[in-house]
Amino acid sequence: EYIQQNEDRDGVRFTWNVWPSSRIEATRLVVPLGCLYQPIKERSDLPPIQYDPVLCTRNNCRAILNPFCQVDYRAKLWVCNFCFQRNPFPPQYAAISEQHQPAELLPSFSTIEYTITRAQCMPPIYLLVVDTCMDNEELGALKDSLQMSLSLMPSNALVGLITFGKMVQVHELGTEGCSKSYVFRGTKDLTAKQIQDMLGLTKVTGTAQQPQPQVPGQPTRGPPSQPIPPANRFLQPLSNCDMCLTDLIGELQRDPWPVPQGKRYLRSNGAALSIAVGLLECTYPNTGGRIMMFLGGPCSQGPGQVVNDDLKQPIRSHHDIQKDNAKYMKKAIKHYEALAMRSATNGHGVDIYSCALDQTGLMEMKQCCNSTGGHMVMADSFNSSLFKQTFQRVFARDQKNDLKMAFNGTLEIKCSRELKIQGGIGSCVSLNVKSPLVSDTEIGMGNTVQWKMCTFTPSTTMALFFEVVNQHAAPIPQGGRGCIQFITQYQHTTGQRRIRVTTIARNWADATTSLHHISSGFDQEAAAVLMSRMVVYKAETDDGPDVLRWVDRMLIRLCQKFGEYNKDDPSSFRLNENFSLYPQFMYHLRRSQFLQVFNNSPDETSFYRHMLMREDLTQSLIMIQPILYSYSFNGPPEPVLLDTSSIQADRILLMDTFFQILIFHGETIAQWRSMKYQDMPEYENFRQLLQAPVDDAQEILQTRFPMPRYIDTEQGGSQARFLLSKVNPSQTHNNMYSYGADGGAPVLTDDVSLQVFMDHLKKLAVSSTA
Amino acid sequence: NVVQAGFNKLWGQENLDLLQCPNILPPTKVEPPRISLGQEFLDAANCSTDIFRCTMTKIPESTSLLQKSRLPLGILIHPFKDLDHLHVIDCSTIVRCRACRTYINPFVFFVDMKRWKCNLCYRVNELPEEFQFDPETKTYGDPSRRPEIKSSTIEYIAPLEYTLRPPQPAVYVFLLDVSRAAVESGYIHTFCNVLTTTLGNLPGDARTQIGFIGYNSALHFYSLADGLNQPHEMTVLDIDDVFLPCPDNLVVNLQERKELILDLLTQLPTRFNNSYDTGSALGAALQAAYKMIASTGGRITVFQSTLPSVGPGALTVREDPNHRAGVEVQHLNPANDFYKRLALECSCQQIAVDLFIVNSQYVDLATISGISRFSSGCIYHFPLYKASRILQAENFERNLKRYLTRKIGFEAVMRIRCTRGLSIHTFHGNFFVKSTDLLSLPNVNPDAGFGMQVSIDESLSDLHTVCFQAALLYTSSRGERRIRVHTLCVPVASTLPDILASADQQCIVGLLAKMAVDRSMQSSLADAREAFINVAIDILSSYKLSLNLGTDGGGLQVSNCLKLLPLYISALLKHTAFRTGTSTRLDDRVKAMCDMKTLPLYSLIQQIYPDLYPVHNLLEQSIVLNVDGEEIPQPPHLQLTARCLDSKGAFLMDMGEQMIILIGPSVSEVFLNEALSVSSYNSITDQMYSLPILDTLLNQRLTNFINHLNDQKPFSATLHIIRENSPNRSIFIERLIEDRIETALSYHEFLQHLKTQVK
Ligand SMILES: [Zn+2]
Ligand SMILES: [Zn+2]
Repeated sequence: EYIQQNEDRDGVRFTWNVWPSSRIEATRLVVPLGCLYQPIKERSDLPPIQYDPVLCTRNNCRAILNPFCQVDYRAKLWVCNFCFQRNPFPPQYAAISEQHQPAELLPSFSTIEYTITRAQCMPPIYLLVVDTCMDNEELGALKDSLQMSLSLMPSNALVGLITFGKMVQVHELGTEGCSKSYVFRGTKDLTAKQIQDMLGLTKVTGTAQQPQPQVPGQPTRGPPSQPIPPANRFLQPLSNCDMCLTDLIGELQRDPWPVPQGKRYLRSNGAALSIAVGLLECTYPNTGGRIMMFLGGPCSQGPGQVVNDDLKQPIRSHHDIQKDNAKYMKKAIKHYEALAMRSATNGHGVDIYSCALDQTGLMEMKQCCNSTGGHMVMADSFNSSLFKQTFQRVFARDQKNDLKMAFNGTLEIKCSRELKIQGGIGSCVSLNVKSPLVSDTEIGMGNTVQWKMCTFTPSTTMALFFEVVNQHAAPIPQGGRGCIQFITQYQHTTGQRRIRVTTIARNWADATTSLHHISSGFDQEAAAVLMSRMVVYKAETDDGPDVLRWVDRMLIRLCQKFGEYNKDDPSSFRLNENFSLYPQFMYHLRRSQFLQVFNNSPDETSFYRHMLMREDLTQSLIMIQPILYSYSFNGPPEPVLLDTSSIQADRILLMDTFFQILIFHGETIAQWRSMKYQDMPEYENFRQLLQAPVDDAQEILQTRFPMPRYIDTEQGGSQARFLLSKVNPSQTHNNMYSYGADGGAPVLTDDVSLQVFMDHLKKLAVSSTA
Repeated sequence: NVVQAGFNKLWGQENLDLLQCPNILPPTKVEPPRISLGQEFLDAANCSTDIFRCTMTKIPESTSLLQKSRLPLGILIHPFKDLDHLHVIDCSTIVRCRACRTYINPFVFFVDMKRWKCNLCYRVNELPEEFQFDPETKTYGDPSRRPEIKSSTIEYIAPLEYTLRPPQPAVYVFLLDVSRAAVESGYIHTFCNVLTTTLGNLPGDARTQIGFIGYNSALHFYSLADGLNQPHEMTVLDIDDVFLPCPDNLVVNLQERKELILDLLTQLPTRFNNSYDTGSALGAALQAAYKMIASTGGRITVFQSTLPSVGPGALTVREDPNHRAGVEVQHLNPANDFYKRLALECSCQQIAVDLFIVNSQYVDLATISGISRFSSGCIYHFPLYKASRILQAENFERNLKRYLTRKIGFEAVMRIRCTRGLSIHTFHGNFFVKSTDLLSLPNVNPDAGFGMQVSIDESLSDLHTVCFQAALLYTSSRGERRIRVHTLCVPVASTLPDILASADQQCIVGLLAKMAVDRSMQSSLADAREAFINVAIDILSSYKLSLNLGTDGGGLQVSNCLKLLPLYISALLKHTAFRTGTSTRLDDRVKAMCDMKTLPLYSLIQQIYPDLYPVHNLLEQSIVLNVDGEEIPQPPHLQLTARCLDSKGAFLMDMGEQMIILIGPSVSEVFLNEALSVSSYNSITDQMYSLPILDTLLNQRLTNFINHLNDQKPFSATLHIIRENSPNRSIFIERLIEDRIETALSYHEFLQHLKTQVK
C-alpha cells in the first residue's frame, strides 16, 4: 500500500524502498537501487502554480524547494535537503508561516507542477510525412485518418506535410492559387544546411511566428512590407491551412512511378525523414514538435535503404542478421541513428506508423522513436482498426481537455550526497550534463544528470539507476533519509513551459544489521520491470546467450542472497512473499518476445522492445507475464495461472499480452458456439458467458495504446498458438527431461516448464559450489 | 557605242554609272529576275521565286566562268512557306528516279509514254501505269497532264514506307523564365493571355499535348493530373542533376485537361510576383523539358529574360558595354557547347527548341541560341522588353500569336538534290546536317528560310539546264506524313556577259549576308566587312572588264541587274549584324546575324533595306484595285536618305514587323485632319500607335495602303506615328542608311571608295 501510494502520488516505484547505507552492501543486493518514474503522470488534483520554483542558491545544487526541506518560518529561511545550504525565501514569500504554507511545502505535494508564465507559449508542430507507395484502398484509409487527425489537433498547432515515394515532396501550405510542393530525389541525402539553402529557410524566432494576418481574396502584390517567414510556407497554423491541407491530403495520389512486375516500389523513407528532420531543425530548433511518419513499406532506395526493389530478395530476418547477411542494415542504421540524434538534439519527436504485411525497416529506424520518445506503431494495414484507433488515441485528451502529449522535455535528477546517478533507460537521449552526482559505473544512458525527452505522455516511464556511494565507515545519522528530486521541464500541449518536480525520501538501513528491513522494502514488480529494461538494453547491443546467462546469474544470486535454505538442500528453499513472484517474472521474461527473437521478425522485436522501454510498470508487467482470466458458469471470471492447466474444455480464457488480446474458447464451449446455442433463448446464460470476455476485451481495446491485436480463437484453432506459446508448458513431454547435467554454468534451458525452471533454480541457489 | 548600248538595253543589260544615279531605286517593288527556259510551258512550271531562288538566272557552264564573274553561286529556299494553292497528291506510289531518288517533276524528259529520263542523273525510269491517270481530270492520257509535271511545287501524302514510326501527336512544352527580371518585364501576362486565346487554334489533332515548366533558380513543374481541382506546382531545387518530379501528367492532352490548363494560365501571371529569385536555370529547364517529351518529340518554346546563371549551362557576362562601338567584336561564338550538344540530343529525339528572348540585360544569345540553331528552332528577340511599352508589347503579342497558330511540321528532314556536275556544300539556316545532303528538322515552320552554296564540279557545257530539288518530308500537326517537293530549273550559259546579266542581286545579297555571318564567327567581323566590300569591288571590276572599257573609264559602271548591290552592301555594313562604330549590344548583333541566316529573302531584304514611302500625297498617286476591289495607292519607293524627306511631307517606313510614319512639321492641315484626325502637328502625342478610322478619302487611302503592306506579311506590323521632333525619331532616322551615320560612310562616300578600288 505504501508502494501504491507512492506510485499514485509521485509516479515512482523503487526496487528498494529502504536503502542500504553503504556501497558494499548495496552491491550485494543484486538488484540495483533504481526506480521507474513517470515524469508527467496524470494528476488532475495538482494545484495550478503560476510562479517559478524557488531554487537552492548553492551554485552546484539548484535543487527546488520541497516538503522535505526544513523551514525556519521566523527567519524566513529554508534548508536545502540535498546540500544543507540555508536559503532565504524570496521577497514574495514574506507572508509565509506554519499556518500559511505555500503548496510546495505541503507533504501531499511532494509532486508539484509549476507553470512558467514568462516563457513564450509555443504551439506544437506536427509534420506529417506520408508514404504514397501503396494501393488506393490503403492510401484512401490513410488519407481518411490523416484528415480526421486534423480535427484532433489544436487549431494553433503548426502543421506541415511531406509526401514521398520515389521522390520526396515538401508541400507548401496556404499559398494563393494552385498547390505547390518542392520535390527532392529520394536517392540523395541532404544536410540541414542544404535544405535550409534550397528552401530558403530561416530560423523562426520571437514574435515572427505569429500567423500573418491575411486578407482573404486580396493577393499581395509587389514586395510585401514585411516578408513572410519562409518557414511559414511549410508549417502553417492549422487554423490557416485546415482547408488547404484537407484538400491536399484528399488529392494525394498513389506514387505515380511505374513499378515493373517482380519489383517493389522505389520508396524513399530515409530521404523523406532526413528532409523532415532538416526542415524542423532549421526552422524550429528546440521547439516542441513531432514528425509523424506513415510507412507502407520498406525503404528501397537512397539513404536508409533496407532492401532493394527486387521482390525476389526478401527483407532481412533475424537469421540473416545473425549470419551477417543483412547487406543494407548497418548503413541504414547509421543513417537513422544520425537522424535520431539530430532530431533529439532539436527537441523533435519522430513517430513511425508502419502499416504493411511485411517488414518496413523498423529495426533500422527504431532509434528515431526510441531516442525521441516518438510512437512506434505496427499494423498490417492502414485500413485496420488497430491503426485507425491507435492513431486517434495519439490525440487523446485528459480531464482538462488537454492533449496527453508533452514536448521538448528534460528530466533532471538531484540526489543526496550518499547517492550517485548511474544512468537511465527509456525513450530519451542523454544530455551529457556532467555533475558530481554522476556515478562512475554506468547503467543504460549514464554520465549525465539530465535526459532529453522530445515527446512523451503521462504514461511515459523512465527507469533510473542509483549507486549508494556512502562508505561503510561513514554511518548515516539516525533518522537521516536519502532524497531524490526529479525535475521535468517541458512544453505542455497548451504551449506553456512547465516544470514538474517530484521529491522523494527513503530511509536508510544498515544491511549488515537489519537486512530484513531492506528486504521487506523490496518491490519485486519494480525490480522485474527494471531488470527487464536492463536486459533488453543489453540485448540491443549484445544479442545472444550472454544476455540470458546474465539474467540467470542475477536471479540465482538474488535467490542466494534472500532465500532461506539449507546449503545443498533444494527442498528447503523458501522465498519471502515479496520475492516469491520474481523468479516467475524472470521465467516469463526469458521466454518472452523481448529475448526470444526467432519467432519474430526483426521489426517486431524492435517494436516490442520499444514498448517495454516506455510503458509504466503495470503495462510492462503484462508484457513480461501476460494475464490470463478464465470464464466459466461456476462464477465470476477469475485470474488463472499462465499455465496449460488453465486450458479447460468448459472455460473461456481471456489472455492479455499487452500486444494481443486473445479470447480462447475451450473445446466444449467452442462446440456449443458452433451449434449456435447462444442464439437460443433457453441458453441465455451461455450467450452471456460468451459475451463477458468480449466485453472485457473491448474495455482493454478501448483504452490501450497502441491498440492490441484482437484474436478470437478456440481449442484447435490456428490462432490458438498465440496462447500456447505464452502459457507455461507444465503438461508436456518435456517434464521428464532432466536439466543442469552439463555441469558448472548456471544456465537454465529454454522452453521448459516453470516447475522445471524453479527446481533447477533452487538447486543452483542452494548449491555451495555455484 | 550607241548600237551596243541600244542592244544591251533591249536585252535588259544596259549599264549605268552609279555615281551619276543617286536615285538608283526603282519606284516600284524590286522584282526578282525571271528565269527563262525558252519554253513557255517550262517557265510557267518553274518554282516560284518566293520559294526557290538561285543567285543567278543562268548557271555558268564551268567553274572558271563562275570565277570570272566573281558572283557567288547559291540557292535560297523557303520550303514551308504558307501557300494559297498547293497540289496535294494522295497516291499509292510516288514516282521517283530509281537511281538518285529524285521526285518526278516538270523538267524530266519523257522518252515515251512509259518511260521518263531523270533530269538530275539522266537515268531512264519506268513510268507506273497509274501515272497516266490524271487524278485532277480523272482521265487517262499524256503523263504531262499530271500535277507533278505541271507544277514545281507539290505535296505528297506519304505512304507507310516514309514513316519510321506512327506519326506522333503535336506536343508543345513551354518553358517560362519566372525570375525576378522576367516578372518585372511582364511578359508572362502577355504570354498567358495570348496562349489562352489561341489554345483552340494550336495546330494539332485530338491527341495534341501541352506542358509547362517555370524556372528561376529552381524548376517549377505543373502536374495537370486527372482528378485535380487545380494544377499542382512541383518545384525541383536540385538543378545540377535534373530529374522529373513525376512520370506523367506534366505533358497532358490539351482537350482533356483544358480546364486545368486554363486555370494555370490564369494563375501564372501573378504567381511569382512575390518571388525575388534572380537566378535562371535555363539549362536545367531544357534538360527537364527534353526528358518530358523525348519519347514523342515535339516543340519546346523558351521564354528567357535573363542570363542563365545557375545549374548546367550557366553563363557569365562576357559583354563589356564599353566596347559596344568597337571595331573588333568579341564573343560572337558560344561560351560553351552545352546548348549545342543539348540541341543535337533534342534533334535526335525530334525536338526543336524555339527561343523568345524578352530580356532587359545581356543573355549571351551567342551561346544560348545554339539550342535553336541546331535543333531547327527559331529565335525571337525583344530587347529591353517591358510589357508596359505598348508598341513592344503589341509586337510581342503579334509575333507570339503568329508563332502559336502558324503551320508546323514535325519529324522533318529536308534533302536537296541537284543535277550531276553540281554540288551543294555549305548550308545556312537552323538545322542539323545529318548526312551530306540531308538536313534534320525536328520542326519546320513556314517562316524559316535556308541557303545553300553551290559549286560546279564538272563542266556543264553539254547541258541546257540544271535542276535543284528540295524534298521536305514531315509529319503534319494532324498526324499525316507528307512530302513537299520543290524543283527549280535554271538554264546553263557559257559567256561572261550572259552570266553577269543573269545576276539576281537580292538573292546574292541574301547569300552574301549568310556567308558573312559565318565569316564573322570563323574569322572576325572586320574580315566579314572587308569581304563585303571586296565582293562589290570584284563584281564591279569584273563587269568593267566585261565591258572592255579600259582602265580610265569614268564613273562606276554597273549592269542593271546588279545596280542595287552596292546599295545593299552599304546597308549591310550599317546593319546591326555587321556595323561597327555604332554602339551595338552584343545580343542584338547576334540576333541580327541569326536573322541573316534564317529569314526568307523577302523579309531579309526588308530588314537590310526597309521600304520608305511618301504618304502625305496618296491622293495624287496612281491606284490599283486589290482582290476586294479596294483602291490601293502606289506611292514610289524612296531612297533611305534624309534627302528624300520633306518637312511638308509624311513618310512611312516599313521595316517588316514595324512601321513608322514620320510627320513633317509643315505637313498640310488637311492631312492632319483627314488622315490622322489631329488638329495640329503638336497635338500628335508620342503614343500614337494606330490610325483612326475616318470617313475621309485620305484616311481610307492610307489605311488601304498600310493594310496592303500588311497583307504580304505573316502578321500585321505595329504602327507608330511620330512627329519629326519627337524623341522617338531616332528609330526612323537611324534607318536612313544612305546618310553618314557616325563614322560609317554615306552611300555616296561608299561609292567613291569603291571607285578607287575598282580596277
Ligand atoms: Zn542545495
Ligand atoms: Zn535520277
